[in-house]
This record gives sequence, C-alpha cells and structure tokens, in this order.
Amino acid sequence: MNFAHLHLMLNHFPIIGTIVGLGLFLVSLAGGRAEDLRRASLIVFVAMALIALPTFFSGTGAQGAIKKLPGVSESLIERHQGAAMLALLFMEITGAFSLIELWKSQGAVRSRGWILSFVLLFSLVTVGLMARVGTTGGDIRHPEIGAAQDAGTEDSAIGKIVSRFEPSPDKFAELMTASKWWWAFMMDLHFVGLVLVIGTIGILDLRILGFAKQIPIAPLHKLLPWAIAGFGLNLVTGVLAFTGMGAYYTYDWAFWFKILAILLLGLNVAAFYLTGAFSSVVGLGPGEDAPPFAKFVAASSLFLWFAVITLGRYIQSFSDTIVVHK
Amino acid sequence: MGPPAFLQAIENTGFSTWLRESESPFAFYFILLFHTFGLALLVGANVVVDLRLLGVARAIPLAPLKQFFRIMWIGFAMNAITGVLLVIAYPTKSLTNRNFYFKLTVIALAVSVMHKLKTRVFGDASLSEAEMTARGAALAKWSLFLWFGAIAAGRLLAYTYKYLTYPS
Repeated sequence: MNFAHLHLMLNHFPIIGTIVGLGLFLVSLAGGRAEDLRRASLIVFVAMALIALPTFFSGTGAQGAIKKLPGVSESLIERHQGAAMLALLFMEITGAFSLIELWKSQGAVRSRGWILSFVLLFSLVTVGLMARVGTTGGDIRHPEIGAAQDAGTEDSAIGKIVSRFEPSPDKFAELMTASKWWWAFMMDLHFVGLVLVIGTIGILDLRILGFAKQIPIAPLHKLLPWAIAGFGLNLVTGVLAFTGMGAYYTYDWAFWFKILAILLLGLNVAAFYLTGAFSSVVGLGPGEDAPPFAKFVAASSLFLWFAVITLGRYIQSFSDTIVVHK
Repeated sequence: MGPPAFLQAIENTGFSTWLRESESPFAFYFILLFHTFGLALLVGANVVVDLRLLGVARAIPLAPLKQFFRIMWIGFAMNAITGVLLVIAYPTKSLTNRNFYFKLTVIALAVSVMHKLKTRVFGDASLSEAEMTARGAALAKWSLFLWFGAIAAGRLLAYTYKYLTYPS
C-alpha cells in the first residue's frame, strides 16, 4: 500500500458518493417518505465531505509516487490538482449546509427552505466538479483511454471554462507560505476553532457523563452551531495549511492519525444521532442520569477530540516519519 | 550588549537541556501538548459561560454554570505549570520576546475578569438570572476579547522570537 494506492481507493467515495447523495436528495423532492430520504441524502453528503479530505490529502503522496515514472506529465497532475481544490471547496460547502440542516431537523425547528436549496445548488455543482476531477485524474495515467499528453491543448470546451476558476496549485502554495504573519494568523484561527469545539461539545459530553447535572440537556444542544462553526474554521485553516505545505504533512504519521481521528468522530456523531442515544438524552432535565450507551458515546467523543489535539500538536515532532522507498 | 547572562545559565542546566533536546515524546512536545489541553479547558469553558451571559442558548440555566469555574481553574493551573516549564526549556526565546510579556499581561487581565465573573455574577446565590446577566454581560465581552487576545499572542510567540537559544 502506497499513497497512489490509497488515493485511487479513496477517490471513489467523493466522486461516486456525491452522485448517490444527489440522487437520494432529488428522489426525496418527489414525495413519498421524503423526510427519511432527505435525511439519508444529507448524511451521505456529510460523509462524502469528510472522506473527501483524506482523498485530497493523499493526492500529494500519489503525486510523489508517480511523478518520476515515464510518460507522467507534471502539467496534467497540476490541472488535476487545481480541479481537486475547486471541487473540494464546493464539497465542503455542501457538507456544511447539509450538517446545519441535519442539526436543525433534530430539534422541533421547522427547516427553512433556503438551507435545503443551498444544499441542492452546491451539490449539483459539486457533482459536476467531481466529474471534472475524475476525468483530469484519469488523464494522468490511463493511456488506454487515449488521454492528452499536454494539458494546454486538449481541454474540452467546458473544461476550458471551468479551468478559469481552478487555482494553480503552485501559486496557491506560494501564497499560503509567503508571509509568516498569514501562517501565524491561520494557526491562530485554528486554535480559536479548537476552543469553540471543545467548549461547546465538551460541556454537552460532560453533562451526559453526569457532571453539572442541574443543567437540562436540550439547551446545551443549542450550542452546537458554535461547534460546527469552530470545526468549519479549522477545516478551512487546515486545508489551507495543507495546500501550503503538502509534503510536510503527507509524510507525517501524526497528521494521518489525526485525520483518522476526525473520521472516527464523524462515525461517533452518526452513532449518537442514528442509534437513538440522542433521543434518549435530549429530554433529560435537571438531576436526571443519561443511559450507559449515551455516556459511552459522550466519553468517546471527548477522548477523540483530545486525540485530535494531541496528534495535531505532535505533527511538528513527527515530520518525515513516513519514509517512502523508491 | 546581549541578553542577560542568567538566561544562558538556565539554558545550560541539565533539566533545561533535556526538555529542549530530548527525543523523548515526553519532553518539549508533551509539555506543549498539556499547555494546549489547559488552553482548551480554560478558554473553552470560559467561552461557553461568556456566550450564555451574552444571550446565546438562553434556556441554559445560569446558576449551574458556576461549576465550570472549577474546570477553568484546572486549565489555568495546567497552563501555569506547563508555561513555567516551557520558559525553563527556552528562557532566552521567551524572556527576550516583547510579545511574551504582552501575553502575560493579557492573561493577567483575563484571569482578573474571570475572578470578577465568579464572585460578582456567580458568587451571590440570591441573584436572579436577569440580575446575573446584567452584572455579567460586559465582563463576558471583555473575557472573550482578552482570551482570544491571549491565544493570538501565544500563537505569535513561535513567529516573533529574536533568539531561539542564547547567542554564542
């Protein structure tokens, strides 16, 4: 297993998964058991948004694995990378709106149509951009489909339009690392996001575990948008940091375990809401104890968030720990 | 005239050298990690109390939030201890950096606001929530502002130092 293998494995999820999510979403608009289908489609979008992250990150390692092979064009790789950056942006926005809509639908809040229409709009664009990423990726090393050797001449009409919006990976990386003040600012925002997440989710988890039992749980759940905002902030600053210094993070065990911890947190959130743990605690009033399974989910949530902080902190000390043998 | 000689004296001690140069995962990065944990506890808990005082999630009863001050003090203690260890590891880097003194000042102010919140707002059990909010809203705003300032100043330390170790 090398980075190229990992990248080729993972890419199926954001490219095909988003089509599945969009399909479910469109069917849900047609009627019938609309609520369940719509919720399922939103969950798919959030899951794909999460998996898109290690997919994107593994691209740098994949590039490292193949760039010296005969017939591999650097410019085709860059075109693919630029397409991936644009697609990732729309993927994460789709995931964010989906998550917000899922949060709203847990309470008695009537979901406002505008969030759902944004989900529809952004998911449509995402599916299109993911097709572009897949195509440009295939062009790199699928000689059997008769791909272009030079990115400049062979772009389709649509491709030429889209490519205007695709950033140049090299220029973007330079931009991110040009000023140490910008880097410091991004890292500062990363800590602000951390604080928002730990504060709000931490309090909810601690209450479920039995601390400060005088507080009813439903109001604590209302703090979650701040956690989503904090996580969003960290996702943005994190991806920007990676685009600035891809190789530094790619060959670092702490970075990959951190991403794994974040994916596990995605599973944890899914477990909390889909297994009924949430409904078993949301009505708890002052003094009332949460059931054991809910406590387990809360404890693992706290553990995983502190694991994310730990692994993030150790990125610096674990640099160059993944050694690729040529 | 260079930095004061006592900084070099601290740096040359066995403990300081071990903290700085040891490959053990329990050296510098471990201490830095617990500094981050302390920050997460201290500012995390503070932010929730501040947000509530400013009207976010009004259904959360104010009085029980008093218990979170214990978490804040645990976080502060963690950071005071790890902070001292970090200064011992890199005395020249920290003590010749103007930004470091700015950070300590902001923290002192933030802690005094925290203390005021605890005594004036949460200290009197007979106060109604409306009274607590009236007393606490302005303090909450300052608290948020000061803690985020402390985080920013702390983060900038890695980018604003003049000497990493005592110049030879």
